[in-house]
Amino acid sequence: MHVLGVAGPSDAGKTTLVERVCERLAERGRVATIKHCTHAPDVDTEGKDTARHRAAGAAVSYGLADDAWFATGGDRGLDETLDELARSYDYAVVEGYSGARIPTVALGGRDHAGRRLAAGETASDVDAAALVEALHDCEPYETLGSLVARIKASSDSDRAGAIATFTGRVRERDDHDDTPTEYLEFEKYEGVAEEQLATIRDDLCARDGVFEVALHHRTGIVEAGEDIVFVVVLAGHRREAFRAVEDGIDRLKEEVPLFKKEVTVEDAVWAHER
Amino acid sequence: MHWRLFATLAETAGEDRVSVDDAETVGEALDALLSAHPALESEVLDDDGSLVDHIRLLHDGDDPFAAGDGLDTPVSPGDELALFPPVSGG
Repeated sequence: MHVLGVAGPSDAGKTTLVERVCERLAERGRVATIKHCTHAPDVDTEGKDTARHRAAGAAVSYGLADDAWFATGGDRGLDETLDELARSYDYAVVEGYSGARIPTVALGGRDHAGRRLAAGETASDVDAAALVEALHDCEPYETLGSLVARIKASSDSDRAGAIATFTGRVRERDDHDDTPTEYLEFEKYEGVAEEQLATIRDDLCARDGVFEVALHHRTGIVEAGEDIVFVVVLAGHRREAFRAVEDGIDRLKEEVPLFKKEVTVEDAVWAHER
Repeated sequence: MHWRLFATLAETAGEDRVSVDDAETVGEALDALLSAHPALESEVLDDDGSLVDHIRLLHDGDDPFAAGDGLDTPVSPGDELALFPPVSGG
């Protein structure tokens, strides 16, 4: 799933830009949007069944009709929402989260955390077509769920009896006494890293009984407790699946030009210096 | 042609991209890089002046020591060379 952030002050035309982008993206895949709301949205109606469920203690309530649905809930963050959407949508357009580390269009000089794809005073200063192309050059937002969904879509899935996965995550400490890691930062040799990952994928898929393989490694900052890397395999049987996952992550760690810097409260050290 | 540098090598050099003119081989391009950034020498060369084992060098994404003539591999304008320490993904 590709994620695009649109950040800017309230009169800069964020929603207009989101509309233009959604129209283009909807031609290419399924689109979800997320909007940051300053006030609690007024979606349900007091006395309706779903409102009564919430009032009785349900944290979340979904109303499902044949071709429409809505949901209400309490706290919900951007990351957990993106994680859920990644499984089923091709694009997520996010309005109003300038602090999120996602590829962003900045309107009205708004500061933002993620990589800048375009900027302008208002929506009319931004070329929506170019923006959509630039978005496709960015690293997609993947989760274990989105990769599993992808491999399940393989044309060989009817013969597949096994899915095996590996998830590498940021370990906060090795021992109880260790200085805790705050985050890792990964640098990538773009182009070459992707080629190497594709080679590993192709080699594994060439094995008898392995039908589909997906590998994904995040770059940039990954915080303690977050997931870094995924290797996901669809195979006829479990033996081939487990072996391919293990070989996949071993080869990735050995061959792919990615570089890890570990940052604790005390210092920042490149992994290879240890 | 240009060098891409990563991790500690980029930090030592103070930049992650270094242009080189007038080099005909990988070896000449490496000499040019080290002339421009002498601080890199202690990280990439051993006492004999040859490349330290754990430093990896790529020429347009390929390893010239595995599939070419090593430092004698010819280079052309527009080529991309890369120098990096052991990879540490995953």
